[in-house]
Amino acid sequence: MSRSASLLNSYGMHVRPMHSGHGVSLPKKSPSVPDLNRTYLGENKSNVSMMSEPKPPNSKPSLVESNSVEDATDLSFIELYEEAEEDENGSGSTTPMTDPIPAAVSYSSELEQTTNSILKDLSHFDRYGFKKQSTYITENEYNSWWSEYSQYCIRRKRKWQDLLEKSGLSTNNDSPDRFPPKSEKLKRYVRKGIPAEWRGNAWWYFARGQEKLNKNKGLYDKILNNLNSSQNGQLRDSDVIERDLNRTFPDNIHFQRKSDDTEEPLMIQSLRRVLIAFSIYNPKIGYCQSMNFLVGLLLLFLDEEKAFWMLVIITSRYLPGVHNVNLEGVNIDQGVLMLCIKEYLPEFWHRIMPKQQARNNEFLYKLPPLTLCTASWFMSCFVGVVPIETTLRIWDCLFYEESHVLFKISLSIIKLSEQELSRHNHHNTRSRPPNKDDDDIEIFQIIQTFPKKLLNPNDIFDRVIFKRRISFNNLNQEEIDRCRKYVTSQRLKHKNYTELVGDKAASSSNRDSKMASDLINDALSSEVYGFKKSLTGVHWNNSIKEKVRQIRRR
Amino acid sequence: MLQFKLVLLGDSSVGKSSIVHRFVKDSFDEFRESTIGAAFLSQTIKLEKQDDVTIKFEIWDTAGQERYKSLAPMYYRNANAALIVYDITQPDSLAKAQSWVDELKNKVGDQDLVICLVGNKLDLCEEDPQKRVVDTEDAQRYASEQGLLFQEVSAKTGAGVTDIFQTIGEKLYVQKKNSQQAASQTRNTVNVELQRPSTNDSTSCCS
Repeated sequence: MSRSASLLNSYGMHVRPMHSGHGVSLPKKSPSVPDLNRTYLGENKSNVSMMSEPKPPNSKPSLVESNSVEDATDLSFIELYEEAEEDENGSGSTTPMTDPIPAAVSYSSELEQTTNSILKDLSHFDRYGFKKQSTYITENEYNSWWSEYSQYCIRRKRKWQDLLEKSGLSTNNDSPDRFPPKSEKLKRYVRKGIPAEWRGNAWWYFARGQEKLNKNKGLYDKILNNLNSSQNGQLRDSDVIERDLNRTFPDNIHFQRKSDDTEEPLMIQSLRRVLIAFSIYNPKIGYCQSMNFLVGLLLLFLDEEKAFWMLVIITSRYLPGVHNVNLEGVNIDQGVLMLCIKEYLPEFWHRIMPKQQARNNEFLYKLPPLTLCTASWFMSCFVGVVPIETTLRIWDCLFYEESHVLFKISLSIIKLSEQELSRHNHHNTRSRPPNKDDDDIEIFQIIQTFPKKLLNPNDIFDRVIFKRRISFNNLNQEEIDRCRKYVTSQRLKHKNYTELVGDKAASSSNRDSKMASDLINDALSSEVYGFKKSLTGVHWNNSIKEKVRQIRRR
Repeated sequence: MLQFKLVLLGDSSVGKSSIVHRFVKDSFDEFRESTIGAAFLSQTIKLEKQDDVTIKFEIWDTAGQERYKSLAPMYYRNANAALIVYDITQPDSLAKAQSWVDELKNKVGDQDLVICLVGNKLDLCEEDPQKRVVDTEDAQRYASEQGLLFQEVSAKTGAGVTDIFQTIGEKLYVQKKNSQQAASQTRNTVNVELQRPSTNDSTSCCS
């Protein structure tokens, strides 16, 4: 990639000069989407072939730059991949990828050798460039799951192609940019997974990214260019961002530096620019650890400018306040999650909540330790929490169905891990009486590790999300929005109360402060949140309904 | 087996997670994903200075960025020990560590909370002494003024890492033993007084 088109600004960042339209000198704008067809080829030569113009596999990848995004092929990447695997397993055939790699590096035999070793190693990575193996999943487990799941992906993609065709929409050379209007059918399709090659476009479409971009044409470029000219203004967040760049997907080939002396991966450069630009665009949020993972994943599917606007949309529409300086949004969402657990997973609720705290609303402002774990589920939208393919399926639903999906998925994970929890529990009670601390540790450990083993997305989607009889599937966006308002007001009231009473109480005896906190709890607990019991036939308490109305009116 | 809760605190990218991973898994990654929220690990060790005493650490590893500080009270609630980590090549990180020390002393009333100040990335300074910006003596002096344990370590090479946990474990164990002894002594005294009239008390003896 030529760097001549970019300028080095005071932060050591390569910044694109202002530019109109397309052309060779726009290397930073769009090309960060790795061509899924080439994940296994593109790794050598530091993203060059990844960024290069799509070509039939036989042609010689040139080093000419282009801002084209997706390759126009069918599902061959999956087949290629599987053949490559057989090859790895010693089937003896030559690489099915018809030699683009040697062609790309034919100018150096030394490079060729390196490339060959990379090629061999590539079987350790998935189609997005992530390492297949993790602490909880072996490469064999991954491969045997993938051999089934890739077939599923092929079947689903055919269904999507049919759907688009019937809706009179073009698949636009395997890069459709328009999708049918929202419907139950489309929702089901999204829940079953958007084809990987279409994901970037589909997310962008469902999140109404273009609308946002149209209102702010050129702003992203402008922010970066201003940055370039204001040489000396040290940015508040640039240090923290810098420290996290190489700690974003260090196991993904697109984010890895080959060795110390090679140039920084383009993906890292894009990541830096998007995060810096966002911290300037929204100083109220600035940079919050976890946004590096959000942007990192976006960049695997969308170009830089789109990734930037998606981050803007995620942090405002889907996760309001979650990344703010005081993290109040994440606390509110944890309060909402606790309400949901109390309502829909009562057994689990009793395990995490001591009785005296469960009676009143104290858990809304004194969050239980479990939320230390679940907070990250929301902040990074499950990136790094569940394996990548499962994360992507969650993101498909997030952009289509909005944030209540994150709560449903959280409840699903807890529900699924309950089996494991009860197994441990039985084991424990035999050896010694249960102890609250030990139990907490166990819960925390299982809730932390269980999701990391959810290699197959359908373990959640087929077994939980698609099951009507599971009561929390009644949760919808409206309910979550009401919960959020309720928790927000409860937390705010508590804050005001403690500021009024708490200061006085703190200076007097412990007993007084205990009384004060009881008083606050009693006062706040008189307002109970009532879930809408649609379809379940449960009597809907009118007084609660009235209270909710009052809350909504406020 | 005795169990102790230990929290790690400190600025972002000083190497908190790396220290824990060295201790728990004896491994090191040059680039480790930033911790979001918290991670929980546990490790059991045998105390070197005691015969046959094993203790279990429940370790709460936390995100380092300033804004996560609002979640911190949840981590250090009921903690027995805290590792406050700084990077010996980053001057700001010691200041951050000091503010953590203040916060713990103000907010955790527990006199028995064992705090250990840990300077990480010793390996960088062994490669190139110029990289060091925090002097061992300065940090050491600060630690003893504040009554903290102190150790410089390298999560990369492993130097000093197990030592910290041995020292902390030892201190926690001795504290626990003493407080148990004190408790049982008071109980015994009470019993003695109840059982026997004070004339039999050795102090008021009629020798």
